[in-house]
Amino acid sequence: MIAKPYEYYVDIVTKRYFHGVDNFDMPMVLDCFDKDASLTEVTSMTTHQGRDTGIRMMFLRLFHAQSRIWHGNFVHTCDVDEESICSQFSVEVTPRGTSKPLRYENANRFYLKNGRFTEVFVYMSGENLLK
Amino acid sequence: MQYQCSLDRAELIDLAINRYFANVDAKNLDDVMACFHDNASITIQSAFTVHNGKENIRRMFTGFMNTYKTIIHKDFRCTVDERNGRIAASFVAQNEDHEGNWTTLNNTNFWRIRDDRFQEIHIYMSGENPLT
Repeated sequence: MIAKPYEYYVDIVTKRYFHGVDNFDMPMVLDCFDKDASLTEVTSMTTHQGRDTGIRMMFLRLFHAQSRIWHGNFVHTCDVDEESICSQFSVEVTPRGTSKPLRYENANRFYLKNGRFTEVFVYMSGENLLK
Repeated sequence: MQYQCSLDRAELIDLAINRYFANVDAKNLDDVMACFHDNASITIQSAFTVHNGKENIRRMFTGFMNTYKTIIHKDFRCTVDERNGRIAASFVAQNEDHEGNWTTLNNTNFWRIRDDRFQEIHIYMSGENPLT
């Protein structure tokens, strides 16, 4: 397997994963994950297991709960040798039925195999949205 | 902010894990402070707390080292971005207070290095912030 270049890691995080989340595009989001992947929200130690089961259900709940989602202001720490990228970013979400956006300053750690996320760890600066 | 960094991959890991965390655990305050530029900052992002400048950082570490009898950082998992002078690491932080009560946190630090020392540290914690 040829190692993925540096820009692959930045692109899968920003142009595929978060772009998919911000546009409520479930297939684009799930395509970033290995089928056996896990996603853990560290503050509450909540783990969602399996791309097509736990992770998909978590995003269904997120998309149902929010009318607007935006991720930006990224700073990446990318390690091609370890197939990992850790990203700091801002998040704005607007819960359905409200008009006031909520702002978070979050960080994710992504670990990949064969170009897809196998483990994702999420740190949130406020209440856990990834229930 | 993008900084010019003079450290390679092994040196970035050595700075974060051996020169910084090992000295925090050993309470070698002067050696910890030697890792920072004078105008460095530590941001505990999960608590919206910022310590600006070396004197404020020293005050924070003095309080932290006095509050806890035992400080342990372990189980590091490093992500090293040599081309941009950045390193991130997840780790377990265990602190024992003077009454023998232990607190365990699962944290992640992001370091941005200018030349050969820390310019910025951003900390994301799984629980209550002890770095006040």
